Amino acid sequence: MTKEPVDILIIGSGHAGGMAAKILTEKGISCLMLNAGPVVDVARDAKQEPAYALPFRGFKPPGRLAHVFQSNEFNANVWVDEEEVPYTFDPANPYNWVRVRLFGGRSLFWSRQSFRLSDYEFKAKSRDGFGEDWPINLADLAPYYSRAEEIFQVSGSTDGIPQYPDGNFIPDDIPWSSSMLRFQEAGKRVGIPVCRGRRAHGRDGLASSVNLLLPDAFATGKLEALENVVVRELTTDKQTGLANGAHFVDRLTRREMSVKARVVVLAAGTLESTRLLMNSKIANSSGVLGHYLMDQIYGVGVTCSVPEARGGKATAELMGGAGVVPRFRNITTKSDKFLRGYALNVTSHIGSLEPRNFAAYGAELQKKLDLYYGSAFYMTIMGEVLGRYENHVRINKDVVDAWGIPALHIETKYTDNEHNMARDAVDTCVAVAESSGFEVLSKNTEPNPPGYSIHEVGTCRMGNDPKHSVLNKWNQSHDIKNLFVVDGSGFTSAGWQNPTLTILALSMRASEYLAEQMRQKNV
Amino acid sequence: MRRRDFVRAMVAAAAAPKMLLAQTANPAPPLAAPVPWTLGLNAATPLPKTQVADVVAQADLRFFTPTQMATLERLSDVLVPPFGDKPGAVAAETPAFLDFLVGSSPADRRHMYQDGLDWLDAEAKKRFSVPFAQLEATQADQILQPWMRTWMSDHPPTEAHADFINIAHADIRTATVNSKAWSDAPASRAQESTPVGLYWHPIEPDIYAQEPIRMRSIPRRAGKAAF
Repeated sequence: MTKEPVDILIIGSGHAGGMAAKILTEKGISCLMLNAGPVVDVARDAKQEPAYALPFRGFKPPGRLAHVFQSNEFNANVWVDEEEVPYTFDPANPYNWVRVRLFGGRSLFWSRQSFRLSDYEFKAKSRDGFGEDWPINLADLAPYYSRAEEIFQVSGSTDGIPQYPDGNFIPDDIPWSSSMLRFQEAGKRVGIPVCRGRRAHGRDGLASSVNLLLPDAFATGKLEALENVVVRELTTDKQTGLANGAHFVDRLTRREMSVKARVVVLAAGTLESTRLLMNSKIANSSGVLGHYLMDQIYGVGVTCSVPEARGGKATAELMGGAGVVPRFRNITTKSDKFLRGYALNVTSHIGSLEPRNFAAYGAELQKKLDLYYGSAFYMTIMGEVLGRYENHVRINKDVVDAWGIPALHIETKYTDNEHNMARDAVDTCVAVAESSGFEVLSKNTEPNPPGYSIHEVGTCRMGNDPKHSVLNKWNQSHDIKNLFVVDGSGFTSAGWQNPTLTILALSMRASEYLAEQMRQKNV
Repeated sequence: MRRRDFVRAMVAAAAAPKMLLAQTANPAPPLAAPVPWTLGLNAATPLPKTQVADVVAQADLRFFTPTQMATLERLSDVLVPPFGDKPGAVAAETPAFLDFLVGSSPADRRHMYQDGLDWLDAEAKKRFSVPFAQLEATQADQILQPWMRTWMSDHPPTEAHADFINIAHADIRTATVNSKAWSDAPASRAQESTPVGLYWHPIEPDIYAQEPIRMRSIPRRAGKAAF
């Protein structure tokens, strides 16, 4: 039987799709949400286990999830299996595509760091000439950031640093430990600020689409949702060229189905949204769909020990706590080694140090572990990756996923800009650590493969010029006015910041615009 | 009906007749017919208690050669010896576990272990004229210590020999700390604890993964868009 079209079809249930569903249904608009994976129920799907009770003693099951460094035997079943949904790349330039298809997507598992972008990111080209400016600035997005911070219960302090914009925070006034204060003082001597982090606390220990966004949407009675449906392609009206629905396959039964819609909101996550547009052969009159893939360099850093905390002398006054060094390069001075900059996560830790921090084994290693217990101090990078046309994705017709859908080929690599940034970060960390009186135990200047940060953005970028961008400043397709893409694929530049808060704010802003356009019957 | 709801319905169906019977003065005799197979199991059913196989059973060794296994046994004993109440790698049956883990791993990991163990044995014979398995701890130290490195997560050394020694050390240590034998022994000072975490079962796994496009063999009606 022919069904009536739904008002809005939302594809994806993570932070982007969840926010769209909340905003649109609260405006009284009916939505249907499609999600490629199942609803997860912790009472049914998980239980506490010791490592020895697992078949591989807690090691990652051999041969699985080779590109998900975050995986282990405890969590191996929450990630997308690389054989079920394959992707390809040149072996010389590996890419770590880290995916979750459970209902709620990656909003179920994230680090909760919640930063606003600043105009150093939104208007970066105007400052250094590289890439493109965003079609919006901080003032445009600030009201939406504030509301997202309220929903996600973001804590922080007011720092008054332009590249680290303040927000609508739960005050974070826990006293600094003296090891953090020492690092702060040493940073100050070389012009490096050490600030409070900004973290989403959410509710009841979770800060996810499934508990902060979707319940509000379901409460309106305007949201229906399907689990385990893998969208094969978006469909368009041959006469008008407008999006008119989607064709999908049931993940488990392989039953083919379709749904009609007046508007489509794509929120499947950066690369899945782009893959879907490419497989649907739409929204690419600019030719830049799939290009300008970005993320952030991770894995670079330094591990230190605070000498005064050794030998069982670590106290809560001396050790503990964490901070963020917001970007400080290319703000008031100009580096001749790289554009843009990086931030650092800084953590003082009162627990044990990992054995790999000592070139020792056996009894000698145990002696070191005992002595150094409680004295760990970590610094790790979050570095901006430049948006380059050549870093791109395309469809690989020779490889299909478990449902016969063509896979994505990912072609991206870091350049001298990122590698120079990584070396600068380690040199700076070592200098500040030594100036703080800390002992450097281990360091690494080699970034993890692209994708590792799970902060992939771009490939469907926003812009004012339809010839050089896929979306306009409202996350609306330049080509198809009833198609919106509200996840990280719309980013024009990556910044050093975790993208989640910006995705939430952009999805909220785009959804309110869409609702108003529908009210005015423009869409 | 979702699987969860289905199970709830079955449990309710099983419980309902009992509740009715409990209110009856003269309960009816049990049915003479066989009990439907779904009846009986419910939340109050005691669960059998099971043991970890490593504790009671001997693992078949399938991957390393006897010489490689002897080298791995000695290497494990040297790198992670018993300490205080904690068992060493050998008592934790780490070498047999690694025979299983490495043997199940991709080719590059299998080759790194095989080549690394062969190299250790050759070094021992070259420098001390005995197999690695027969080295004194001080002799083994002369081979191993020069290759020990410090490194950060996900970035083990890539230099030949240092890669194997440091990765094997991390694996042997992790497999030992994660064993039941280690978990059962009391810890002293900064000794690591066996991780206990939230283990996720497969979540509605795709049981048709091996026949990915079976529905495509059904002809589509004319007029529908092809895909």
